[in-house]
Amino acid sequence: MTLDAIVFYILAAVCLLAAVGVVVSRNPVHAAVFVVITFFNVAAIFVMLGAEFLAAVQVIVYAGAMLVLVLFTIMLVDPDNLPELHAGRPVQRVVGVLLGLILLLEVGLAIINRTFTAPTGNATPELIGLVGGPAQAMGYILYNQYALPFEIVSLVLLVGVIGAIVLALPERLGEQFGLRRGTISLGHPRGTEVALPTGPDGEAPITEADRKETAALEGTRELILVRDPDKYTTVGERR
Amino acid sequence: MEPQPIWVTFVVAFIFMNVLLVGMAYMTWFERKVLAAMQDRLGPTRTGPHGLLQPIADGIKLLGKEDLIPAAADRLVFYFAPLVVFVAAVVRVAVIPFGNQITVFGHPVNLFVADLNVGALFLLAFGSIGVYGIILGAYASANRYSLLGGLRSAAQVISYEIILGLSLVGIFLLSQSLSVRQIMLLQTASLQLGPVTLPNWFILSQPLAFVIFLIAAVAETNRAPFDLPEAETELVSGFHTEYSAFRFSFYFLGEYINMIIVSLFAATMFLGGIDGPGSDRFWVLGIFWLLVKVVFFLFFYVWLRATLPRFRYDQLMGIAWKVLLPLVLINIIVTALIRLAGNGQLF
Amino acid sequence: MGTLTTNHFLFLSAALFIIGMMGVLTRRNILIIFMCVELMTNAVNVTLVAFARETNTLYGEGFAVFIIAIAAAEAAVGLAIILALSRRVASVDADEFNALRD
Repeated sequence: MTLDAIVFYILAAVCLLAAVGVVVSRNPVHAAVFVVITFFNVAAIFVMLGAEFLAAVQVIVYAGAMLVLVLFTIMLVDPDNLPELHAGRPVQRVVGVLLGLILLLEVGLAIINRTFTAPTGNATPELIGLVGGPAQAMGYILYNQYALPFEIVSLVLLVGVIGAIVLALPERLGEQFGLRRGTISLGHPRGTEVALPTGPDGEAPITEADRKETAALEGTRELILVRDPDKYTTVGERR
Repeated sequence: MEPQPIWVTFVVAFIFMNVLLVGMAYMTWFERKVLAAMQDRLGPTRTGPHGLLQPIADGIKLLGKEDLIPAAADRLVFYFAPLVVFVAAVVRVAVIPFGNQITVFGHPVNLFVADLNVGALFLLAFGSIGVYGIILGAYASANRYSLLGGLRSAAQVISYEIILGLSLVGIFLLSQSLSVRQIMLLQTASLQLGPVTLPNWFILSQPLAFVIFLIAAVAETNRAPFDLPEAETELVSGFHTEYSAFRFSFYFLGEYINMIIVSLFAATMFLGGIDGPGSDRFWVLGIFWLLVKVVFFLFFYVWLRATLPRFRYDQLMGIAWKVLLPLVLINIIVTALIRLAGNGQLF
Repeated sequence: MGTLTTNHFLFLSAALFIIGMMGVLTRRNILIIFMCVELMTNAVNVTLVAFARETNTLYGEGFAVFIIAIAAAEAAVGLAIILALSRRVASVDADEFNALRD
C-alpha cells in the first residue's frame, strides 16, 4: 500500500464514521459537530484530489459559515421543544435502512462495472502548475467558460439573502408575540418592551405590582451610617 | 529553490510552534506592562526583573488549579471545545513565511512550513474554525451567560469574517496570487515614483483595505472594543464563565495566539513581511523587521483596549454591515477598474 | 487495494450519500434532516471532483464551487424557514408541520 492509499483509507473511515454519527446522534449539537468533522475530512479528500481551492472554499463556506449558522439556529430553538431526538417511527426506520442498502448495492455494482469514459482534457497537474496553480486555473475556468452561471449563482445568493431576511423577520409575518417562546434576544431592539410576552416561558416585563413590592421593601431596610467602616468589616488576621 | 527533506520541515514547524507559545506568554506580560504604563501603574514587578517571570508563574498557577465541570454540562463537548480554539489558532502559523530558503550546515532550510497555493484562504478558514470552540464551549457549559456570549460570538465572527476576507481581495487582484509567500515576495520589490523610491508594500496601494482589515481583525479575535462575547461587566466573561484551570487557559492561549497570528498576517499582507533595510542580505534582519511590525500591531491592540469603551451589540453589527461592507466592496471595484485600466482592457 | 483509483473515491462518495439519505429517511428532527441533506451534496461534490481528476479537466471542480454557493443560499433560506416554523409550531419535528394537510 502506498502512503496515498493509507491516508485515503484513514480519511474515508473517519469521514464515514462521523457521517454515521450525524444520523444516530440524539442531540442536534452533537450531530452538528459530527457534520463538521465529515466536512473537514471531505476537504482533506479534495486536497488529495488536487483541488486545493475547493478544499479551502469547503472549509470556509461549509465548515466555517454554514455550520455556525446551524448551531446558531439549534441554540435559538427552544431546547425543551427539541422533540424526540429519538429516531423516527419503526416502519420509517426499517424502510429507510432497507432502501439505503438497496441503493448502495446498485451504485456499487454500477461503479464496479463502469465502462463509461469521457474525453480527457488538458488540465494535467503540470499544465495547472504552468498557469500558476489550482486557484489560478480555477479562476480561469470560472470567469471564462462559466461566466454566465457564475453571475446567475450570485443572483441566487442575493435572492437567498433577501428571502432569509423576510422569513426570519417576526413582525412581518404578523405573528402573535404570545406564541414566541425560547428565543433569546441578542441585542436591544427598540420598541419591543410593549410587545414582550408574559407568562412562565416568556421574559415578563417588570409589572407595576413588582415595582411596588420593591419600594415597600426599601422602606423597611435598615441603613447603618458609620464614621469608621473598618469597624464593620474584617480583613485578614488584623482583627 | 532546492527541495528540503520532510524532517527539516517538521523541525522548522516544531520551532515555530514553540516560539509562538513563548511569544504568547510574553504577549500577556507585554499587554500588562503597556496597560499599566497607560494607566500610570507599574504592572507586574514581583516575579523576576520587571516581572519577566510572571507568565511562567501564571502558567504554573493555572496548572495547579482545580478543573471544575458543571453538573449540567455536556461533558464530551465541554472537554474538547477549548482545544478547538487552541489548535485552530496554532495551525495557522504553517503558512506564514518568516523568510526565504537559507542554508544551515549545508542543508537547505525553508523559513516557512508550507507554501500553499491558497495560503491566504487557509488562514481565513482556520480563523473561522476557531469560533466552534467558543460556541460549543458556550453551549456545553449549560449557562445562560455563556450561551449569550457564544451566540454573540458566532454572529460577530461570521459578520467580520466576510469583511476580513473581502478586504484582502484587492491584494489578490493586484498580486494575482492567493499564496501568502508569493504576495510577500512581490512586496520586496521597490516602486519608483519619479524621484522617490518607495517599498512596494500593499499598504500604499490599498490603504482603505488596510484600515478595514485592522478593524475586522480586532473583531475577529474578540478583543476590546469588540469583546462582546466575553464582556466581563455584562456577561461575566461570556463563553468561558464555567471554564477553569487549564481548560480556561486553552481559551486564553488561543485568543493571544490568534492576536499574534493576525498581526503576522497583517504584517505579511500589507507591510511587506520580512521586507526592510538589509533583509535581502541577512535573513536574521528579515525576521527582525517582521517582529518589529508584529510588535507594532500588538501594541496597537493593547492601545485600543486601553483607550476605547466596548461597543453596544447593535452598533457592532451596524458597523460591519452598514459601514465596512459597502466600503470594502467599493475598494474592490475601484481596484479592479484600476487594474483593468493598467492592462489597457478598460477603454 | 494498492494504488488509488477513481473508484475508491466513488465508493466513498456513494457511502456518504447513502448515509445522508438514510438520515433524511429515518430522522424526524428537521435540523438533522437539513444536515443530512448537506452530507448528500458533499458526497456529490466528491464524485464531481473525482471524475474531474480522472478526465484531467476542471469542469467538475467548477460545478462543485457552484454547488457550494447554492448550498450556502439554501442554508440561509432553510434555516430562516426552520426559525419561522419553530416560532409558530414551537417544534422542530418534521411530522408536526402538517397545517396544509388538513
